[in-house]
Amino acid sequence: MLILAGPVGEREHDGGSHPERPARIRAALDGVSDLRLGSDLVTVAARPAQRDDLLRVHDGEYLDELESFSRRGGGALDADTYVTDTSWDAAVRAAGAGLVAIEALESSGEGAAFVVVRPPGHHAQRDRGMGFCLLNNVAVAAAALVAKGARVLIVDWDVHHGNGTQEIFWDEPDVLYVSTHQWPLYPGTGRPEEIGGLDAIGTTLNVPVPPGATGDVLLQAMDEVAAPAVEAFGPDWVLVSCGFDAHRADPLAELALTSGDFAALARRTAAFARSPGRLVLFLEGGYDLQALRQSTAATLGALVGDLPPPEPPTFGGPGSEAVRSAARDRRRAIEELSDRLLAVDSLDAPVTERPRWGLGGAR
Amino acid sequence: MRAPARIAVGYDGSPGSEAALRWAAALAGALEAAIKVVHAVGLLEHAGLASLSVHEDRARAIAAGAGVEPSRVEWCVLEGDPGSVLCRMAEGPDPPELIVVGTRRSLVHPGLLGSTSLGLVACAPVPVVVVPPADRAS
Ligand SMILES: [Zn+2]
Repeated sequence: MLILAGPVGEREHDGGSHPERPARIRAALDGVSDLRLGSDLVTVAARPAQRDDLLRVHDGEYLDELESFSRRGGGALDADTYVTDTSWDAAVRAAGAGLVAIEALESSGEGAAFVVVRPPGHHAQRDRGMGFCLLNNVAVAAAALVAKGARVLIVDWDVHHGNGTQEIFWDEPDVLYVSTHQWPLYPGTGRPEEIGGLDAIGTTLNVPVPPGATGDVLLQAMDEVAAPAVEAFGPDWVLVSCGFDAHRADPLAELALTSGDFAALARRTAAFARSPGRLVLFLEGGYDLQALRQSTAATLGALVGDLPPPEPPTFGGPGSEAVRSAARDRRRAIEELSDRLLAVDSLDAPVTERPRWGLGGAR
Repeated sequence: MRAPARIAVGYDGSPGSEAALRWAAALAGALEAAIKVVHAVGLLEHAGLASLSVHEDRARAIAAGAGVEPSRVEWCVLEGDPGSVLCRMAEGPDPPELIVVGTRRSLVHPGLLGSTSLGLVACAPVPVVVVPPADRAS
């Protein structure tokens, strides 16, 4: 069974010629329709996230600023990111859609959910929108689950690093954030040495790959780097920052995936969930409408009904060595930070009173 | 301590970043320091949906106008957000000894620093100067 939460942003938050545009939602919905799921498709409407839901991951002052900026008509947040008079309402409903998806899965106890919303979220930091993102949708959902005592895995296969999600959960031991992304590329974070803060060493996992990398490289990252960490972490829920801008047709980046590769990634990621009905995918990037439609169909088709993807998976691009070196750099960084922690703990304070050094989070 | 010999300045063509570049160039001119003008490439610019070609000429003209010898001006383009790009540079080989950035008005409260500047101040291993926009300087 597939639960579709939304849609949000089919008309609102329209920046004119901007690539992050309302037509993306129609393309994703068309991808869902292509699966002809019939009664296996259940649509649940989004509702606005409550302020308390948002405050788990965003500063109140930023929320106030953003709402008032939007209500006054909006403008440019930075060179990439726009706000219109409808952006605040769309962003709050986009953030709430993930919470609705979780409730629907909790009551069904089976299947997966797809949150079809925009604006996207994974670049949004605690106190700042950027990179087309205003509120961090996947983080709002993950924080709500953590508040209920769950351990949450976030897999982010959007072609860009989710600096906002990483920053928000930098010191959160109950969230494992795993990202594959093109490097170098905006936003310039997501090196393998970025492994989480002192309270959460190893719960941030980054695998940057070079332009031209194919699907087999990202699967290698999942199998060789992510899988052991996920196994050790033991997630109750799996959330996916499901961008499709790693597709070879995407105009914003240079990876070489096809929709068939997203199907394989989806199967790998679904296997990380320990029980059924604990997988939620959030639409992030993806700016070629045809690729977005095909990739949506391939990803969800792999999860419900195991339908064949419209394009074959890809092999042989560069990046295999980058994955291996990411694993090495990550291991070394974990050892070094753990050693520092041990050295500090042995000096004076009990282990429960660890000093928090200003390691700068995502930056 | 001695005066910085290598100064990095974030520049994106905006009025705030021009104020930062003018300040950094004036200092570099006075100290005979080298100046690295760092341009961070965002999502749209990477996709060719916004241009960067005008930035370099403009930046070099501003530096020359402040009396910095052209050979001491380096134009540097890196993929990313200005904050993360400058931090990465400061942690990398041959780091600058001083970082200069402008500030963007906060959405509502004009007195707040933009969070790029704050993040940079928190992470940078070298001194950071945040230059106010021209219309706020006296
Ligand atoms: Zn993206």
